[in-house]
Amino acid sequence: MSIERMVPLMLEGIRDTLYMTTVSTLFAYLLGMPLAILLVLTSPKGLTPKPLVYRVMDALVNVFRSIPFLILMILVIPLTRLIAGKSYGSTATIVPLVIAAAPYVARMIESSLLEVDPGVIEAAQSMGASVPAIIFKVLIPEAKTSLIVGATISSGTILGYSAMSGAIGGGGLGQIAITYGYNRYQTDVLIITVVLLIVLMQIFQIVGMYISRKTDKRIRE
Amino acid sequence: MSLIELRNLTKTFKGKTQTVEALRNINLNIEQGDIYGIIGMSGAGKSTLVRCINFLEQPTSGSVVIDGKDLASLAPKELRQLRQQVSMIFQHFNLLQQRNVRGNIAFAMEIAGMKKADIDKRIDELLEIVGLADRQHNYPSQLSGGQQQRVAIARALATNPKIILCDEATSALDPTTTTSILNLLQEINRKLGITIVIITHEMSVVESICTHVAIIDDGVLAESGTVEQIFSQPKTAVARKLIFRKSGADNSLIGERMIRIVFEGSSSSEPVISDLVTQCHVSVSIFHADIRNVSGKVFGQMILQLPEDKLQQEKVIYYLQSRNLRVEEVTGNVH
Repeated sequence: MSIERMVPLMLEGIRDTLYMTTVSTLFAYLLGMPLAILLVLTSPKGLTPKPLVYRVMDALVNVFRSIPFLILMILVIPLTRLIAGKSYGSTATIVPLVIAAAPYVARMIESSLLEVDPGVIEAAQSMGASVPAIIFKVLIPEAKTSLIVGATISSGTILGYSAMSGAIGGGGLGQIAITYGYNRYQTDVLIITVVLLIVLMQIFQIVGMYISRKTDKRIRE
Repeated sequence: MSLIELRNLTKTFKGKTQTVEALRNINLNIEQGDIYGIIGMSGAGKSTLVRCINFLEQPTSGSVVIDGKDLASLAPKELRQLRQQVSMIFQHFNLLQQRNVRGNIAFAMEIAGMKKADIDKRIDELLEIVGLADRQHNYPSQLSGGQQQRVAIARALATNPKIILCDEATSALDPTTTTSILNLLQEINRKLGITIVIITHEMSVVESICTHVAIIDDGVLAESGTVEQIFSQPKTAVARKLIFRKSGADNSLIGERMIRIVFEGSSSSEPVISDLVTQCHVSVSIFHADIRNVSGKVFGQMILQLPEDKLQQEKVIYYLQSRNLRVEEVTGNVH
């Protein structure tokens, strides 16, 4: 493929991939965060143990996490149509991406929140902190570093899913790789999309780790 | 009315296979202004006991009454408000790692719903009290253990509490730092009139600042009273064990008849043993001796091995008693 055609194609691919990844990550966090907080609170060792609620949510998260992404994408096509109006393209792909990523993100956040020193939570309780105060003043701020690391890993995973979605009508670099590289045997396009995906992943990783390190107050300067 | 009243306090933990009775029928009164030590071996239930005082642990039965309020009768919100009057400090300080010194002290007041300007002003006062003004912008990871505990104390004082509960607050600190933290607590007690409850496994902590002590053994209150009472006349074996723990005497050496002499106040400075030897013409071996300063009072004990002759033994005991010393026979176990 000529450079003149390649450059705009790739730029469009990068734009679509970033669009799908960031919007999906955002929505996955909007859904995953409350889910994770509920999991942490209702767990048998949580602040407000509700074993039944916990078991149901825990099982649901596991169910959604065990469906392979491509299959989930097909399963939720009716829902995708309902929300996005169509089942193909970048915007439509956000629907299955969010559904697949939210439980994953919830688990990441849950494990970050569980890392918070129980002693600090007990100290907050001893001062008369309410449950919302413990969540927003203790759990989340104290888990901040770990949450940022988790967000880095999660967005990387979502980037990978978004590329995968190219196989059945998703947009972005994944779709370019499938359409040109796989269906039309244009190996140069295939290689370039792979390189671009690697570069994007690296950037996510470096930026995420940098922010988490910079904001961590536990490290001695 | 006592500031803290524990009535028939019982706490059992139900596990899957067994139930553990952590506390059984504890009755204890703590008065306004006391520095009350609660001491016991590890696993005796003292940490559970202190958590019952602010209801971090709900007692299985019995009641906790603070300042006339039965904690079991309080609504969750009332309980949270009461906790602002009953602060707590911990063995591992439990500071927020992502907030600096000021932020950690502010935390207690944010929870209490104080205004930002008032919080800032109060932080300055508290930093002065605990002597950390030069460290106010540091994070906990940049502070020593003693400094972190000072931050925790400032945080505990922030809401003007009536009571401070200390859960092994000096157990993670070296001896010098322990002394400085204990002095700070004593100063707080004297200047601000705050009642302090200290959970510890170290008798030296009780010795240095407590006015009263309760001994917890295997979930039961073995004895309680003023530090002087318990130190001079420990009634139970566990009390003796805790008080004379440092004696280092080896039980296997006990064959002959032995006695323990307890000195209090002025008798500690008299040359009792040399008088005994010159006046009774007997020889005794000193098996163990120590002298300590327990909240300002001199308190000593000595373990003597008596001569073999029965008559001489009685002579020694009679002589010591005539000097108004407490003499008790040690049988089988030095403790």
